[in-house]
Amino acid sequence: MAPIDRSFSRRRFLGGSAMAITASALGTPFVRTARAQAATFKAGVITSLSGENILGGNLTKQGYDLWADAINAKGGVEVAGDRFKVEMFYGDDQSSPATGADAAERLIVQNGVDVLFGPYTSGSTIAVQPICQKYQVPMISGSAESPNVWKAKPEFNFGIIPAVDTTSGLSLGVLAKLSKPAAKTVAVISVNEPFSKETGEGFRDGAKAAGLEVVTYELVPPEGDLTPVISKIAALNPDVIAVGGHEEVLLNVVKTSKSLNYRPKALIMHYGITNPAFAQALGADADGTTGVVVWLPTVSYKDDVFGTAKDFAQMAQKKLGGEPDYTAAACAASGLVLGDALKRLGKKPALTPENRVALKDAIAETDIQTFYGPIKFEKDGPHYHDNIQPVPVLVQIQGGKTVAVGPKEAAAADYIYPLPAWK
Amino acid sequence: MDLFLQTLLNGLLIGGVIATFTIAFQLAFGVLHVIDFAVGGWVVLGGYLGYYITAWLGLDGFIAIPLAFVLFGTLGYLIGPVLYNVRNSRTARPELMALALSFGLFTLLRGGMLTAWGFNTRNVTTTLSGESLAIGPITVPLIRVVAAAFAAAIAGGLFLFLYRTRYGLAIRATAENRHNAALMGVNIGRLSANVYGLYAGITAMAGVLMGAIYSVNPEVGLRYTLFAFFVAVLAGLGSVEGALVAALLLGVIEAFVSTYVGASYSLLAIFTTLFLVLLVSPRGILRRGL
Repeated sequence: MAPIDRSFSRRRFLGGSAMAITASALGTPFVRTARAQAATFKAGVITSLSGENILGGNLTKQGYDLWADAINAKGGVEVAGDRFKVEMFYGDDQSSPATGADAAERLIVQNGVDVLFGPYTSGSTIAVQPICQKYQVPMISGSAESPNVWKAKPEFNFGIIPAVDTTSGLSLGVLAKLSKPAAKTVAVISVNEPFSKETGEGFRDGAKAAGLEVVTYELVPPEGDLTPVISKIAALNPDVIAVGGHEEVLLNVVKTSKSLNYRPKALIMHYGITNPAFAQALGADADGTTGVVVWLPTVSYKDDVFGTAKDFAQMAQKKLGGEPDYTAAACAASGLVLGDALKRLGKKPALTPENRVALKDAIAETDIQTFYGPIKFEKDGPHYHDNIQPVPVLVQIQGGKTVAVGPKEAAAADYIYPLPAWK
Repeated sequence: MDLFLQTLLNGLLIGGVIATFTIAFQLAFGVLHVIDFAVGGWVVLGGYLGYYITAWLGLDGFIAIPLAFVLFGTLGYLIGPVLYNVRNSRTARPELMALALSFGLFTLLRGGMLTAWGFNTRNVTTTLSGESLAIGPITVPLIRVVAAAFAAAIAGGLFLFLYRTRYGLAIRATAENRHNAALMGVNIGRLSANVYGLYAGITAMAGVLMGAIYSVNPEVGLRYTLFAFFVAVLAGLGSVEGALVAALLLGVIEAFVSTYVGASYSLLAIFTTLFLVLLVSPRGILRRGL
């Protein structure tokens, strides 16, 4: 039997591979030149496109893309009389902060992006910040809500959503104003895990500013049973119970309160009640629960790119097939900040390293009105570079639907206070 | 005084709730000699069955309880022999291999549920959900009373079954000495499958109640596994009657610490109790563990 000439086929294979690699390596600079000739601004999005945070990650990506689509439809970002389109690049943090930092580095070094749009989670945002600092590339974060992001004093990162400690704190002020007779006391339940604890601390500190007396601050383990805590609070009988926690705890607070036949005059939770699954799970028992959001399609703000908040919601509805929430809105508003800063900077693409630093300074000076609300970044203090301008909108579940109830300029329905006793 | 009585009641009822998913866990350990990590997975499966019975068919959550026993008991019966064979294989450290297998089963259940049913937290509604009874200054949550009664009934039923029937005798003999039981004509393999099926069925029934008392999502399984393990250690591994006492003790400790010291210290108190009991009585609170 004739032996098979393996060396020949292997040689041909290796030779072919080598040629292919050489050709692609030679080809790459031409591709890059071609892109550079088109003169676009390059923006990199780092977010969770896989892993456990994929739902939220897609929300942020869609928000950033909505702005890119809207601005490109107008011909691009206006700089010194010319318009330049925006090209988007994506990096997946795979729901892990460390991977997010790697993805950011790749976007900066390999794709040569001029600016970054920040991740869905605060954890990833904190991990990406040092990369932005190292390469002196500004980042606009449309999703991060943890105050720890801003406590780190990030020189190159800017946040659109107010940190959760400010929103939860301010929301009690709005609630106190809406309540008749005025609420005087509050009990705070805070789950002992990062985001929830910060929310609870925000409620606790905000209560004092709102003129409410905090009768108890209960830090509960995520595994704990809530009956002892609710029984204790029932004995103290505060007007308001404020809860820092995710959906499951919120659900359990309502169920446990009902099983103990205790209902405060108001029950406020920061996160989760806008998730339709909450009202669906609790049915009629969800009614009356108050929540906090920083944006709703019904707010009265507007800008030149998206129009009114309602126009934005319609555009998002058409493209995404669902009503946008405040994260998608804040991500889209991140683009408005970039567009405004580039216009003021007046430098055409591609930006030099010096121009990127100047862009960072221009972003820091942002003071604009958008469909999302006013945007202006803090220059010092614990919320350094965070936009704490938006006043939180109080929402309440009424008849199974989430409706805005305060402040007055954003309200679509009257606030139900005090809550009726359990049936 | 009112708060004290309410706290005591809360504690006993929390204990009753915890007992529902730990009693059968003890039985499985006694016979199979496997610490089954999948216990939380069975609880969550029961909870989801309860949810779908109420959400899709519009029926009362309680109807899911017997269904959970039949459905997941059968599933457990099918899985039992695999666990038994791994536990009794001739490889080195079969006890660790069995532990790894049950951990794998738990991970599979959790991952499967996440893929199939997503992250959203669900609720099981029953006729007694949110209902309460006022006795003087104390409020008694009825759904928790049902759970505690369920735990007592299961414990009593198991006791009668184990001590008053021939098959119970065979189970006890197997738990005590597998080889001798086999020599006396007990089919250890089939008995193990039956016990694992019984355990999975009872635990899934408890899961329906957990879904009605708390809520259900694929992530909460780990919590039930942890608590089952706490109770099992405190009770003495394998001791069914000890599980009831240990669960009540842990419930009362959790309630009093949460109310009078601070909820953030409740787990610390539970761990301290475990540590002290292990130090003084390594075979559990009733000294009946293996």
